Amino acid sequence: MMEPELNRSHTIKTIGGLVAVLVGFLILPLFLPLGWLSLVNEMIILALAACGLNLMLGYAGMVSFGPAGLYAVGAYTTALFLYYTEIPFGLALIAGPVSAAIASVIIGWFCVRLTHVYFALLTLAFAQIIHTIVFEWYGFTKGDDGIVDIRVPAFLESITNYYYFSLIIVCICLALMWRIVNSPFGKTLQALRENPERTEFIGINVRLYQLSAFVLSGFFLGAAGSLFCGFNKNVFPNYAHWMKSTEMLVVCLLGGVYNFLGPVVGSIVYILLDKVITSFTQYWPLVLGLVVLALLLFLKGGIAGFISEKVSAGRASWGKGERNV
Amino acid sequence: MTFQGLIIQLLSGISTGMVIFLIAVGLSLVFGTLQVLNLAHASLYMLGAYLCFWISATLSEVTGAFWWALLLAPLGVAIFGGLVEVLLLRRIYDREHLDQYLLTFALILIIGDLCKLAWGVDFNMVPTPWPLNGPVIWGDIIFPRYNLFLILCGPVVFVGLWALIQYTRLGKIIRAMTYNREMANALGTNVPLVYTVVFMLGCWLAGLGGALVSPMSSVMPGMDMVVLIECFIIVVIGGLGSLPGAFLGSLIFGLVNAFGILVAPRLAIAFAFILMIIVLIVRPWGLMGKPE
Repeated sequence: MMEPELNRSHTIKTIGGLVAVLVGFLILPLFLPLGWLSLVNEMIILALAACGLNLMLGYAGMVSFGPAGLYAVGAYTTALFLYYTEIPFGLALIAGPVSAAIASVIIGWFCVRLTHVYFALLTLAFAQIIHTIVFEWYGFTKGDDGIVDIRVPAFLESITNYYYFSLIIVCICLALMWRIVNSPFGKTLQALRENPERTEFIGINVRLYQLSAFVLSGFFLGAAGSLFCGFNKNVFPNYAHWMKSTEMLVVCLLGGVYNFLGPVVGSIVYILLDKVITSFTQYWPLVLGLVVLALLLFLKGGIAGFISEKVSAGRASWGKGERNV
Repeated sequence: MTFQGLIIQLLSGISTGMVIFLIAVGLSLVFGTLQVLNLAHASLYMLGAYLCFWISATLSEVTGAFWWALLLAPLGVAIFGGLVEVLLLRRIYDREHLDQYLLTFALILIIGDLCKLAWGVDFNMVPTPWPLNGPVIWGDIIFPRYNLFLILCGPVVFVGLWALIQYTRLGKIIRAMTYNREMANALGTNVPLVYTVVFMLGCWLAGLGGALVSPMSSVMPGMDMVVLIECFIIVVIGGLGSLPGAFLGSLIFGLVNAFGILVAPRLAIAFAFILMIIVLIVRPWGLMGKPE
């Protein structure tokens, strides 16, 4: 058990650390070249998507193969509204996550009836259906050509401004998720992950909780999709492709699924790896595959899990001397 | 539609179904015994197709090069699979599902890129082997002879596997382990060895499917992904881990595909998906599977 004294200083340290990281992100545009800044922008949007997925994956223990489907619903909703209608950018941006949440209610209603491998396969199937619809409905979604040159407000045209804009939205979403996972609702989800039967015995409606996790997760995935659509100013069917889904899964695993900020760490490392390795070789998938293998076999719990294990081991030995194992 | 058109569509649906049965049944067998959903199963199918292309191109001077390739390519895939099982898969059986998915997903990326490294990114063609080139003409119905051969292969493999599982000692062990793993283990079965053998058998089937497909579609990067999704659909419809289920699922899939193409050419795969979703909701364990 951690003593309250230690606990409080721990909290202060954590908050201090977070503020330092945030300040770091805020001053990045002062010295980073624009190319790198848009890379960081990509990072934080991927981090948002991965954290959204992790609500379901790490906290509720529901392995989804199809997060990209909901991500694409968000992106395409925003893109289609901006393409076909005259509504303001802000509204179109909000419509993305909302429609992704609505889609999640429908998809989730079917999916939470199943467990484990069947749940994973059904989420994959729905994501593939979304991909097929987007790909084949040429008249509406422009199919393979994608929707390009999406209009954004003048003040968001510059990369630096859009970076600040996404940083604010990502921070708000992360704060919301932090509230969610630390609420009684979030704790119930974790109980559910550990033991669904027992959770049901104490009177929890398991399916309802799983569905809620699915919808919340879908909402944040959709938000990431919309944000990315505004950043990239175009959308393509491969947003819903299952390679994209796996990218998100790998990001979560890379960072560590049992750590709130794990996916954030994961996305930073992932995008950097992608950037560095693709500049050396075209065989990025091969390297990525080897990285994943190495992670699975030698670094269980991901990078964030590894660090927090080291930190808490260090703290325990510092506070109480060597612990007997 | 004319009667001839109907027959041709029926035959081509069955032949598609029978090829994919060879691949799906391996996936299902491995899942039934090892409880691991091998996402890289279709990559092994692609490896089989590439090996078949490579061997038959290398041996092009020899008569019956394709038939040698058909014999050797699946064996090569099986040996590769055995290495994967012993070196990698074995370490994560007691881990969570997520870890298993990610390991086999990493294999998709690795095998895909290794094939690109070895054989490039171009389309490769394997000529239809003698004596199966050319069509069969039966009144007004003209149908490729090779596809009739494929229709034959499905049931042969099905019966062979069924006999293996029903009448051999290995089959008994597989059945016992599918039924109750702890009990089989407690009774002194050499579980790791059986796992390796079953995984290699699954890989051999995937390789066989790949080798058989190579004369009728081009061998190229990305051919694995399409088949992987189709295999998922089939094993879910038929029931994961069920041999007759994989057969039935493949037939249904082939036919839905063949006739779906007539109704809406570009949405054929969506029909199969919808079928899969219906099965998952009404009977999540599949048509021939057992409830958990």
